[in-house]
Amino acid sequence: MLQLVPPVSKNRVLSDFPKWYTPEACLQFKDQFHVQVRAACQQRSTGTIGLKMSKVVVVGDLYVGKTSLINRFCKDVFDRDYKATIGVDFEIERFEIAGIPYNLQIWDTAGQEKFKCITSAYYRGAQVIITVFDLADIQTLEHTRCWLEDAQRENEPSSTLIFLVGTKKDKVSSAQCKHTECDAIRYANEMQAEYWTVSAKTGENVKEFFFRVAALAFEHSVLKELEKGSGPMTQIGTGNLIKVEKDEAENVKGSSQASISCC
Amino acid sequence: MEDLDSSPELALEKDPFQLTVEDVYDISYVIGKDLLKIGGEPKGQSGRISDLQFKIVRVLELLEALVSQCNLNMEELKLERDNLKKEFERVLNEGARGDADQVNLGPDKQVIDLTDPDRPRFTLQELREVLQERNQLKAQLLVAQEELQCYKSGIIHPTEEQFVTIENDATASSTKRTAGNNEDYTVIKRLFSFRQGKHIGYCGF
Repeated sequence: MLQLVPPVSKNRVLSDFPKWYTPEACLQFKDQFHVQVRAACQQRSTGTIGLKMSKVVVVGDLYVGKTSLINRFCKDVFDRDYKATIGVDFEIERFEIAGIPYNLQIWDTAGQEKFKCITSAYYRGAQVIITVFDLADIQTLEHTRCWLEDAQRENEPSSTLIFLVGTKKDKVSSAQCKHTECDAIRYANEMQAEYWTVSAKTGENVKEFFFRVAALAFEHSVLKELEKGSGPMTQIGTGNLIKVEKDEAENVKGSSQASISCC
Repeated sequence: MEDLDSSPELALEKDPFQLTVEDVYDISYVIGKDLLKIGGEPKGQSGRISDLQFKIVRVLELLEALVSQCNLNMEELKLERDNLKKEFERVLNEGARGDADQVNLGPDKQVIDLTDPDRPRFTLQELREVLQERNQLKAQLLVAQEELQCYKSGIIHPTEEQFVTIENDATASSTKRTAGNNEDYTVIKRLFSFRQGKHIGYCGF
């Protein structure tokens, strides 16, 4: 990807840290990027730039609206007709976060049981797991626990960010929504997830949610890279995160393509 | 079974196991006619005759019940025989078509109708491969779309900096580039190396 970067569209530029949906179930309260991350991003202007990509997997029962959620954000469309996802699908969404180009590779998975043996192979290496349920169907909330377990089995639990998303807000009354949110927040806390209520149909909270995902995943991966290096500041110019020389650019290109094809 | 034109008397000559309820009615008609004739003759005997008449009627009733029951049983047995025949033929065909496993289905087995055009035919591995290929093609499409976007914007807004980087690249310069134009450099380099000859003149000058 690195060798070809048309400008990131204006509505995918993030400079401030996006806010949580509810303080009762959120991954962090800060309204700014981590001080080390900010410093690393600023270094970029005098050093060289790099491009990061995080893998996001979206799981949940069939017909809860995983594909609709992704399509609303990535394509800004909503299709009334239900079409079951076959196996897996993916989208790549390009952001610019704190001046750094950053991509989310969003994997949409089939909710139908019969595809589980295929989709589970795509869980590996996820930095973000989004578990989705239908606000109008409480059973789908109960199943999120299993979905998360399945997805976590393929990953190191400490290395993933987890989100719990209630969809189809437009379909439930505000009283019902509040009631279900209470249950969902309990589930989210158990799962150590951040909770969001959205509607792909109206678009409510969809962009806010994915921006939050992108910002948290970005910060998480930059911090992880910094941890890997010898010291927080010294390796920024020399580490492989921020600095990319000509030859390395080719390598990154190769490896990013490999990561798509191996999935 | 019964000839419509035959006279009721013929029923008396029939094989008892071929008898139908209609035959019993014919017999009762014949006997009834004879009893009527006797009844019309000398008086005094009518009492005994009518006694006999009741007994005969009773015997005919018993006969009627037996015959109809017998016929019903026969029909049922015939139906059962036909069903068993069909079932046997079906099992025989299946056994000839598939292997023994398909006939003795276990709890995790499924029968596939080979004549169903919508029957499952592809393996999981084939689906995996198709999906993988689809994903690869989609990834290539995304790359191509981005490239196109670069190309378009490069033509519409060619900046001096970009031309400088093309020249740098063309002369194989190893000077360090600034972060600001690194991105542009790689974009143009890509266009340059992939579309050399065709577009470089247009793009550059």
